[in-house]
Amino acid sequence: MTKKIKVLLTKLGLDVHNRGIITVAKVLSSAGMEVVYLGNALPEEIISVAIQEDVDVVGVSSLGGAHISLGTLVLKEAEEKGLKERMVFLMGGVFPPSDGERLREIGFDGVFLPGTRSDEIVSDIERLVG
Amino acid sequence: MADTKKVKGLKKTMNEKIKSTKEILRERVSDRKTTPLYNPEALTDLKRESEDWMTNVVRETDRENWRKTPHTVLGSDTPRELLYTPLSNPDFDYQQDLGNSGQEPFTRGIHASMYRGREFTMRQLTGFGSPEETNERIKFMLGHGATGLNILFDLPTIQMYDSDDPFALGQVGMSGVCVDSVEDMARLFKDVPLDEVTISIVTHYPSNTAILFPMFLALAEERGIPWENLRGSVQNDITLEELIRSGAEYIPPKDCFRIQCDNIEFIRKNVPQWNFITINGYNLREFGTSAITEMAVAVSNGIEILDELVRRGHDVDTVADRLAFFWSAANDFFEEIARIRAIRRLWYKIMKYRFNAKNPRAMLMRCHVQTSGVCLIQEEPQNNIIRAAYHSLAAVLGGAQSLHVDSYDEAYSVPTEEAALLSLRTQQILQKETGVTDVVDPLGGSFYLEALTNEIENRILDEVDEIEGLGGYVRAIEGGEIYGKVASYFAEQQRLIENGEIALVGQNVYKSEVEGPPINVFRYPEGVEERQKARLQKLRLNRDNEKVSSALRALKDACLKGENILPYSVDCARVRCTEGELFKVFKDAFGLWKPPALF
Repeated sequence: MTKKIKVLLTKLGLDVHNRGIITVAKVLSSAGMEVVYLGNALPEEIISVAIQEDVDVVGVSSLGGAHISLGTLVLKEAEEKGLKERMVFLMGGVFPPSDGERLREIGFDGVFLPGTRSDEIVSDIERLVG
Repeated sequence: MADTKKVKGLKKTMNEKIKSTKEILRERVSDRKTTPLYNPEALTDLKRESEDWMTNVVRETDRENWRKTPHTVLGSDTPRELLYTPLSNPDFDYQQDLGNSGQEPFTRGIHASMYRGREFTMRQLTGFGSPEETNERIKFMLGHGATGLNILFDLPTIQMYDSDDPFALGQVGMSGVCVDSVEDMARLFKDVPLDEVTISIVTHYPSNTAILFPMFLALAEERGIPWENLRGSVQNDITLEELIRSGAEYIPPKDCFRIQCDNIEFIRKNVPQWNFITINGYNLREFGTSAITEMAVAVSNGIEILDELVRRGHDVDTVADRLAFFWSAANDFFEEIARIRAIRRLWYKIMKYRFNAKNPRAMLMRCHVQTSGVCLIQEEPQNNIIRAAYHSLAAVLGGAQSLHVDSYDEAYSVPTEEAALLSLRTQQILQKETGVTDVVDPLGGSFYLEALTNEIENRILDEVDEIEGLGGYVRAIEGGEIYGKVASYFAEQQRLIENGEIALVGQNVYKSEVEGPPINVFRYPEGVEERQKARLQKLRLNRDNEKVSSALRALKDACLKGENILPYSVDCARVRCTEGELFKVFKDAFGLWKPPALF
């Protein structure tokens, strides 16, 4: 039996919009993944919980406009703690599609815009975790 | 002797079963004299004719699928018949069910002359970056004919953290304007005549209303404008703070509810033309709930607020006359129109029969409507202009008092100036070019609309009854039941969108092969956070810090003693306390609450 994929989901900073991340949480747990929902957190806390929970995937949600600024800090923190190689980092939410490219440059392994289907998220995670 | 009497009285109350709103309405409404409009003989004839028509004219497939359930974004899944006739609503009683506009039960509108007497207010949301930047946008919108303001704050301000709090990092001035103290309030409203424009200050939560509105009041005071001359509204809704907010720190629901009522009490007395609450259905609906639940939750909150204010010794006729509601307008066109009419009638009944209101103004469901943001999609964004135009038309046909039209680029970011203007133009075209505002409640009397209005009213009341059965609204937040209902609704909506049962043009039907023209996306101004941090440092150095600490201490005492906290938070604003300082007092006084698990 293969090990369950463990995913940490979080809302970035003070962003109040959480419908999307809750939907994703439900989708991933019904796809058989283990989901840890952290709620609202700052980059440092996100990374320390990722280490503590020893997750495979960190999924960050942002609709408040801080996807680049705080997103950069999440990846910087991950880099410093040496997590970048062993964990998959994802960002989803509402932002201009062209920012998707920038998020990948910053180091996110996957970027999900509104309208992404549940099965795409599941299969992308399975592929990225490998 | 006196003691015995008291005990007897108490016993009696305990033995009497408390009647639910639904029971009260059922009893009192069935007592009324009715005069059905349709002649029974004509109905019998029609019934015979219709049976004939059904067998001989209607296609078999339509006969078998006579009732069809439309699946729409944020819809209620209420089945619809193929054709509506007088038989759909045989007991239709014009006076009892509709009445003329401005007359009980207010189904057709709260004012006799409706839009001929007063055009709907074009109130577009505005807010981003620093107070100065939003001030520029405010002047731009007023310069182009907006008739009201609707100020939206940034996330740290909404969540009650100062711009230099670690939690505010990277979010200052994002998706709203930052305000830390009365001085930012002054920058935000520079050259705006506070006593001439009606201003909606979107303080979503009771807690931030109790912090930010006092800053507005202190500003008016400093400009020599009497509070009695201020007109506008705050939101002040527990639903947003405790149910649908995602945040790091929450005060307990019962304390939040108390602050909500403190705000109402204080504003009613001291700022008499100000709407002290906008019971918010919109954000709950957008979070992901049906057309019905949106209204049932708002009504339940309204009932609980009025019960509490009556308990505090207020007269329902004087507190309910400034109550306002805030609804979303989504994709199911006729359902949206029917809903606004249904809730006007239901709220009237609740005020008249449950609260025994005498003042007709206290029975009015006045509302602001915003077109649905969740209904807007990223694919082919220009299509969103069309969607929002239909939403707006529904709101106006339903008789809304004021309107905000979402911009087509909101599925990407805060609207650009161009997109914001287009939203305002959508409203102006409705008002000036289409003629829809010339006749009051133009769809009233439609067999379909009246049947749908009845059905929706009943369904809202059923859900209000469910919430009362859980022990009331605040209890149902604490227990997580409402949360669970909402979460399962939006999971189901996601499923229906993915399997195509909810059609979204350009996303899951009629997908475009070619990529459309790129759209301009709003970019937040840079450097706001640094400037705001520097300002805060300066403020803390230059203010009288002794006055600040004693004002904060007095506020904390009031929180603990159960006194109305507003006079104290106004004092805090006057001496230039910052928002984060007041929120800290609330957290210290009330403690923190952990909301029910999310999934």
